[in-house]
Amino acid sequence: MIVINPNGEQQALMPLNVGPSHPATHGCLRYMAAMDGETIVACETEIGYLHRGFEKMAERGTWQQVLPYTDRLNYCSAIMNNIAYCRAVEEMLGIEIPERTKVIRVIVNELSRMADHCICVAAAAQDLGSTTGFFYLFDSREKTMVIWEKLTGARLTNSYSRIGGLYRDLYNGFEEDVLDVCNTAERNLKDVHACFDRNRIFLDRTTNVGVISPERAISYGWTGPCLRATGVASDLRKDEPYYDYETYDWNVVVGTKGDVYDRLMVRLAEIEESIKIVRQALKRLKPGPIDIVDPRIRVPAHALAYQDMEALIGRFKSVYEGIRVPKGEHYCGSETANGELGFTLISDGSGKPWRIKVRPPCLTQFAAYQELVEGSMLADSMATLSSINIIAGELDR
Amino acid sequence: MADCEKLLAILEEKFGAKRDLADKWGFTVLVERENLHALMLFLRDDQSAKFDVLLDIVGVDYLGFKDYEGPRFAVEYVLKTMKAPVRRMRVKVLVSETDCKVPSIADLYAIANWQEREVFDQYGVVFEGHPDLRRLLNHAEFEGHPLRKDYPAHKRQWLSTNDYLLPELEARLESKGYKIVARSKEVMPNDDEYLEGSRKV
Repeated sequence: MIVINPNGEQQALMPLNVGPSHPATHGCLRYMAAMDGETIVACETEIGYLHRGFEKMAERGTWQQVLPYTDRLNYCSAIMNNIAYCRAVEEMLGIEIPERTKVIRVIVNELSRMADHCICVAAAAQDLGSTTGFFYLFDSREKTMVIWEKLTGARLTNSYSRIGGLYRDLYNGFEEDVLDVCNTAERNLKDVHACFDRNRIFLDRTTNVGVISPERAISYGWTGPCLRATGVASDLRKDEPYYDYETYDWNVVVGTKGDVYDRLMVRLAEIEESIKIVRQALKRLKPGPIDIVDPRIRVPAHALAYQDMEALIGRFKSVYEGIRVPKGEHYCGSETANGELGFTLISDGSGKPWRIKVRPPCLTQFAAYQELVEGSMLADSMATLSSINIIAGELDR
Repeated sequence: MADCEKLLAILEEKFGAKRDLADKWGFTVLVERENLHALMLFLRDDQSAKFDVLLDIVGVDYLGFKDYEGPRFAVEYVLKTMKAPVRRMRVKVLVSETDCKVPSIADLYAIANWQEREVFDQYGVVFEGHPDLRRLLNHAEFEGHPLRKDYPAHKRQWLSTNDYLLPELEARLESKGYKIVARSKEVMPNDDEYLEGSRKV
């Protein structure tokens, strides 16, 4: 298209469509860029290609039946979404989960965070042409996946948490497996840092690319590692601690400039912090119950259903009618790998949710994408896209 | 809770806001839509509030809600701050079906632009003063508002084309001080590209 630029000169810009199916778009995203040579002058984004109507479907089942849907939000760390959802419902029910469940939830939360950050940085490395870094990171992620297989029977969509407890207790040898993952991840992190830290190509591609100021990031509602990369020390695990996060010894990682490099490095450093938390949590793991005892909320064990009348009734009622969440409205946000995952829950007192609204962390990040890439090169827009870790499942719901 | 009470007293006096008792776990205020923009501006900038993060805008449809009387829709704003004693707060505006409009706050928070587009898309609530009120998640050709309670979940629609993003791109260029002289021939809309049965947008 022919335009007259702000300096009054005539210029020919080329509209370039990227996506929705493009190897670097991490799912289905699309943007249209007005190119001046290789520089993006203006950019307009479009989402919704993976919109499956999560919120509509959630209104049709019982409160428990929403759980498998939450897996499909951020599918790189499905268990974190399960836990965030369960925590929101548990707050409405006003129940306190057992000590052991809290510790297990912290461990699987932090392992998921590690896996999620690994994927994000690995994909970013791959987009920048570093296959070595990709494999170093995927190695530790793969070991986490093996734990998920043993623990839940699934790799990606785990549905491990339950309202008022967990799907099942840990398996024998879980602790050794987790320690093994921690050791592998630490070793791999050294290799990854050796790949990237003083690598001229990597530094040139990432420093001062996709920069955002803390004020602008806050105005865009950014949370999580992307906000911390701008230097704002905001982490719900510290600010509004849950599951005793305040009693673990760990640090909030912040960046300085808010560019691609900071966002990736904050994630790598957060993997180390997560390892710290996991190691401490493993020491706190004491035998005990994992479910609360209340047949109206957590279904009694399957074995009991054939022996105990009350348990049979409890199972029947909670499966067919759903748990009765008190009438009212509640918002609860949890710190997931990408930022604050919030659930606005509205209950009319029946067994089905009236309304569930998900606050996906990466929507806010992608909304700022056009500002991040305008004025930079087309190739840098790919580096920027992978650094904000867009997961289309959660972006489009 | 004492901090909430203090803030509530100010909001009550200045904007006629009321506490919403449906939120038994947190702090929600109900406000008339005429006062919404002023209230949000106050909450963002005043020293006692400092709600600098707009986390979410939530649409609600109360059609058929048990023992509910009042306007059919509600729009809720989820706010957060790190700087003031009341960390979290929600603001709720009730909207009737016949006059389904709410003032836009896209000028106060950058993210409100997309979040309002989503509520418009899913519920059909019109945000007055929004710079570019289009659908966000659903397709441009989509008819109706799927999260309304009277929209059947299994209804199907025939949608065929891609969003034609060029007008939006041109608007974006113009907002940056460029002037469009001519659009390239290759990207002019072409009737042949629409499949049979699709609605041209």
